[in-house]
Amino acid sequence: MRKILIITVNIFIMAAILIAVVVYSRYESEASYRRQIENFENTTVTMERVTENYLEGEQRICDVWSRYISNSHMTMEEAIEFIRNSHVLGNTSAHLISIDTLEGLSTRPKQGTTDDYAVSYKRVGLLEDPSRISENGESINITRAYTNPMNGEQSLAFCDRVVLVDAKTHASVDAVLLRVIPISALEQKWVFPQTELENAELSLIDANGDYILKGSNFKNSSILEFYKSYNQTDTESSSKLYDSITSSTGSVSMINSHGQECILAFTPVSASDGWTLLGLVPAKDLHVERNNWLLFGAVSAGLLILFLCDLFYMLGLNKRLLITAMEAESASKAKTDFLSTMSHDIRTPMNAIIGLTTIAEKNLGDEESTKENLRKIGLASNHLLTLINDILDISKIESGKLKLNPLTFSLVETVENLVNISQPMIKEKNIEFGFHINRVEKEYLYADELRLNQIFINILSNAIKYTEPGGSVSVSLKEEQSDVPGCVRLTYTVADTGIGMSPEFMESMYQPFSRQTDSRVSSIQGTGLGLAITRQMVELMGGTITCRSEQGKGTTFTVALDISEADRQREEMRFEDMDVLIVDDDEIVLQTLSDDIRSLGASAEVTGNGEEAVKMINNRHKDGRDYSIVIVDWKMPDMDGIETIRRIRNEAGPAIPILMMSAYDWSDIEDKAKEAGANGFVSKPIFRSTLYNKVHEMIGEEIKSVEPEDDYSDLNGMHILIAEDIDINWEIISNMLGMFGITCDRAENGRVCVEKIRAAARDSYNLIFMDIQMPEMNGLDATVAIRKMEDSWAGNIPIVAMTADAFSENVTECMNAGMNGHIAKPIDMKLVVKEIRRIRHDAEKRQGA
Amino acid sequence: MMMRKKLSIFLAAVMLLGLTACGSKTQEAKQEEGFQPALDTSIKGSINVAGGYSNFEALENEFDRFNEIYPNVELIYTKIDDYNNMIGTVLNGNDAPDIYVNNSWMYGREQYKASIDHAENLADPALGLDLDCIRDNILLNTEDGTLPMVPVFSSTYGMLVNKDLFEKEGLSIPSTYPELVAVCKDFREKGYPNPMMGYTADEKTSIYTVVSYPFFYSTIAGNDEAVDKMNALDPAAGEYMRPTITKMEQFLNDVGVDGSACASIEDNYEAVILRFFEGDVPMMACSGDAVSGTKKRESLSDQFTKNPFQYVFVPIPMADEGAYFLDIPNLQFSVNKDSKNLEVANEFMRFLVTSQELNEMAKNKGLMSPTKDLSFDSRYAAFGEIPESRILSPEEIGLTDDAVLQLRMAVYEYATGKLSIEDAIKGFGTYTQ
Repeated sequence: MRKILIITVNIFIMAAILIAVVVYSRYESEASYRRQIENFENTTVTMERVTENYLEGEQRICDVWSRYISNSHMTMEEAIEFIRNSHVLGNTSAHLISIDTLEGLSTRPKQGTTDDYAVSYKRVGLLEDPSRISENGESINITRAYTNPMNGEQSLAFCDRVVLVDAKTHASVDAVLLRVIPISALEQKWVFPQTELENAELSLIDANGDYILKGSNFKNSSILEFYKSYNQTDTESSSKLYDSITSSTGSVSMINSHGQECILAFTPVSASDGWTLLGLVPAKDLHVERNNWLLFGAVSAGLLILFLCDLFYMLGLNKRLLITAMEAESASKAKTDFLSTMSHDIRTPMNAIIGLTTIAEKNLGDEESTKENLRKIGLASNHLLTLINDILDISKIESGKLKLNPLTFSLVETVENLVNISQPMIKEKNIEFGFHINRVEKEYLYADELRLNQIFINILSNAIKYTEPGGSVSVSLKEEQSDVPGCVRLTYTVADTGIGMSPEFMESMYQPFSRQTDSRVSSIQGTGLGLAITRQMVELMGGTITCRSEQGKGTTFTVALDISEADRQREEMRFEDMDVLIVDDDEIVLQTLSDDIRSLGASAEVTGNGEEAVKMINNRHKDGRDYSIVIVDWKMPDMDGIETIRRIRNEAGPAIPILMMSAYDWSDIEDKAKEAGANGFVSKPIFRSTLYNKVHEMIGEEIKSVEPEDDYSDLNGMHILIAEDIDINWEIISNMLGMFGITCDRAENGRVCVEKIRAAARDSYNLIFMDIQMPEMNGLDATVAIRKMEDSWAGNIPIVAMTADAFSENVTECMNAGMNGHIAKPIDMKLVVKEIRRIRHDAEKRQGA
Repeated sequence: MMMRKKLSIFLAAVMLLGLTACGSKTQEAKQEEGFQPALDTSIKGSINVAGGYSNFEALENEFDRFNEIYPNVELIYTKIDDYNNMIGTVLNGNDAPDIYVNNSWMYGREQYKASIDHAENLADPALGLDLDCIRDNILLNTEDGTLPMVPVFSSTYGMLVNKDLFEKEGLSIPSTYPELVAVCKDFREKGYPNPMMGYTADEKTSIYTVVSYPFFYSTIAGNDEAVDKMNALDPAAGEYMRPTITKMEQFLNDVGVDGSACASIEDNYEAVILRFFEGDVPMMACSGDAVSGTKKRESLSDQFTKNPFQYVFVPIPMADEGAYFLDIPNLQFSVNKDSKNLEVANEFMRFLVTSQELNEMAKNKGLMSPTKDLSFDSRYAAFGEIPESRILSPEEIGLTDDAVLQLRMAVYEYATGKLSIEDAIKGFGTYTQ
């Protein structure tokens, strides 16, 4: 209904425009028509001038002759002979007619004769009243069109009275000289110059309106009769018209004998006795309407095209609107579904946290139960945090706001972090875990470490999650040459022997909130966002992600990324005169590790089991050529690493440095390893630099006992200023830091923080943990204010953001404001400690420098 | 509602198309019934028609009608001064017309030889002229059977009758001589001193000639001897005039013509008409030429404008058995066989010589049509009712102009009281104009 209304309105507007065009065209046409009429009037006036000039010229000739004849007292024969001799034009003649007899002589003989010059005007009816002929030179004396008695041609005659001498009596004879000209000669002068006036005709009328010369379209004997015969008029009107025509210049519209509208233009012939020149042209010849119709047609076509375009555009727009509406509806449904899912997924860990907290409160006396509850609360909290982070990520990805924040980072640290994070789950599920590094030479890369780490963790954690206890997860990180200049291609492959995925699920596995419908899966915590985020991030980084999976057999994800090399790379590493024995049942590890050691300038021997290793060490020991260092894997068949170390120590003594390596959590075997005689520990995968550092550390510092990881004595006595407006957050962080012997002062907002630093004694604070969103002055402004302080200690005091603004751009903002680090809330104390140590280490290095 | 509107528009469009189609069909049908063009109607050309009339509006109307079929043919009428004397010169000159006015009386006269010699034989069947539509009396072939000219108007003698006066006085238009006498008596008794008037200034178209002329022809029709003798101006042939002059005597006695009243009528054309339009004359004797001027002069007469009346032109019933219709060709057209536009000129003649066009032109001119159907024009309808036996053709009877002049003069001289009957008869052969 509305569409019909719009179309109707459009058609109405089109019709209105067309009417306007027609009205305008008609107005223009009328204006043009009026101009054409004016032009025709002017042309008629011009023709009058031409006619008048012609008539005056002919009359003048006649006047000259008549004056000469009258003055010369000629007889008629002499006069006609004189004129005959003066004649030059072939189509004209002259007649001398006696007024008394109306007979006379012609300059040319009668038609069909050679010597008969006699001419009579008795029956012509022209010269009955010679008094109408004015005096010589006064005006044009021209007859009406008449039949030349000598040749029958329709002619005009210019007249003058002359006085002749009778040849016999010598008496004066009054006569009329007629210079006779065929009408066709005058008609030749009456050709309208414009092509649009080709149908125009002229007539000459006398003072009575009778035709002197008559164009073929002029009818009747007079113009008035002509007008009255074909036009509705009354006596008064026709009388007025007649007066107008015979006394002025102008034009009038009239109907001709064909019933056509014509324009009659009229103008007086000045040199005559009341004559008027008339011009008559069909009105249609003056109308130039063709262009108007062309304009009308063009506008119509244009409007039609516009209308159709609009129509189709509207239809298209409506279609898009419909699609948009459907999409909005779908989005609304998706939002509802999302909220429903979120509600479920958030409530689940929250339920655990609240429930376990309640249980813990009731069992405060039961230390074991409380510990267990707190551990589970921690797990649920972490899950909740992951869920929140994922939701934030996916929302940013879908809104297109996710931006990469590339920085130089250490791939070694990234992988170590990855392994560290994975260790608890691997340990919990007792999964066989392997991590192979293959030809990774570029340790420092330039990319968004956070997102890269997220990709690695998501895939690995999925593999671990969906691999049942006793299964295996194998990770491979390979560096290859990239097609992109300045980049290396990292291929990250995670293969598991987990539950696998169905082909149907694989089609939609990258969709947010996609989780396989499987009884085994339902017991596994997950948001269904991990893979969606991973793929988006891989694509954002210009990489590819592929997957092979078979239900019940396992899944292999492969991510390939071209990552820029960092400008900074590890300085050249070199071992001097070293023999290294590598003991591992994993052939790949033996191969890659021995290649690394050899590339570092040392010699390497390998063996796949502990028994063989003990023999090789003993043999060397007996020869007095102990290995410079022995690297032993923990998990090996037959004889594990701990037993192997114990045997080495028993048989070869404590002198040989032994480094234990494992892809598992070091803390689980720490005590046993140390007891067996291990000097150090290195986590798989082992990068070349890691190996170099570790070996160099052991060789350089002789045999050094492994420092326990939970020794936080280095933190004891540190004093930190915490800018935090929320009381509970202050309470948490201050208490947690207090557990490490760190004392804290609180600044309730950024302004207080700045004032406290300004007022503080030098070195009174080791660093500042700065919240960002605070009243009065936020953390960023406070940082800027502190960095501007003149006091070098105050101006350079380490500031680490401790904020819930956890996105990469937030991190960038913090760094740009002058901060030294960023810790996202909720805080992970391990990260906090690590950050404190990093800051302290950097400070010590600066002091040392 | 919407549907109904659409249906209405559709039906209107169909009706419009139907009407348009009907219109074209009607036009086509009209053309099928009437004149069928023989040439390509887009042909270009010009036709110059020459005549003695100052203007010839009736012919120009025919030009316009012809142009409806042949729009690119230009038709011009040219007036030739001193027509009868000049037409030969014109035909031999540079401005020779394509069609020209001709006169049957020019047959056999050396002076007018060119006018006859230039004429195409219009009886040629190849030209396709519808000659059957013209009354036989006035379609005059030459002795060799050719037809150099066809009449486009005819003329006669008769009287204009004020119908309203007759109706007002309860009288009928007379159709026999006794009725004429009775009507005149009745009018006179009703206060009309001059029941019949006419022009009397000269003999040629005087009331006496108009009244007696048809009667005279009835007395010599079929009498070849009388015709021959009269043409020879044999003095003895004067006796052939006696019945006519005697009839004039009777007429003057029975009807009475007030010579002094009639003398106020200055000419045999306009003055006759204007006097008749004064409305007090029941009958005005005149020639058909005068009738042709009546229409235009209605507006020129104040009396007629104030008190218009209906009038007709009827034959004067001079015989007891009724009136005689003297059927005279008035204007005849010839085609110049040397015309540069002969094909188009012949086509125009083929167009013109039809009952429809000739009647149309005659009606416009106000003259009697040469066709067999005179009923179309109420002014002349009465002549169409005259039986064949009382229609006389001077052309067929063959009296020369000089012979006719003798009659006219004799009657005129008697009627005006200048001569007695006997002297008038004796004067035959001696009269000059």
